[in-house]
Amino acid sequence: MATKRKNLYLYLTLLCFIGLIVIFIVDGYLGVYDTLYVPMGEREQKVEADQWVQSPQYGMAEIGWGDKALFRYEVDNRQFSTYKADIEVSVWHSHQKMRDLLSQPMSIAPFKKGQFEWSIDTTELLPTGVSVEGRPVEYTVIIKRGEIERKVIFSIYGYAKVPPPPG
Amino acid sequence: MRLDYILIGFGILLCLAGVGYLAGVYVKYLSEAGKIISLLLTVGMFAFLGKYFEGLGW
Repeated sequence: MATKRKNLYLYLTLLCFIGLIVIFIVDGYLGVYDTLYVPMGEREQKVEADQWVQSPQYGMAEIGWGDKALFRYEVDNRQFSTYKADIEVSVWHSHQKMRDLLSQPMSIAPFKKGQFEWSIDTTELLPTGVSVEGRPVEYTVIIKRGEIERKVIFSIYGYAKVPPPPG
Repeated sequence: MRLDYILIGFGILLCLAGVGYLAGVYVKYLSEAGKIISLLLTVGMFAFLGKYFEGLGW
């Protein structure tokens, strides 16, 4: 009787362990996860899937006026079925749509990744430029993937023009 | 008998290392419900393991 009870505790321990593994696989690994790579001056910053969960609006991109900013959006389909959705990317300012950047259907095979790229030409958005003394002008990139919406606020800052040395 | 204990200890260490690795990589993707169930299962796992060793006379 004592041996049976002793083994019961061991089996319950194993059951809890298997439960943990199953939760990590089903809830933690499986699903559709997106990662965005945004420009941060000369660097590229990664906004990972878990950051979207904490804050759906993640404003942190910085672009100098005159630069073309490249955004990369990666969708990781960790499901047993093909993931299909429409992706729409647009730039907004003061609750008004400035322009569409991307609009296309996506289809990602099971356990594969899909990658999308778009660029923003700051001179098209702000033809008059940004003064160096003034504060940066902020825009919002809205990424719609099916029913999921991601927002990234990026700011365009001015450059100080240094005159060329004489001679 | 001592070899049994060594093997059990080794197995437990491997299991903990595996769960630790999974937790380090994937805990950020878990939902709130998944996190709380994982916590309860971890507590249960150690509690039952304790009772098992208690039954062994430790």
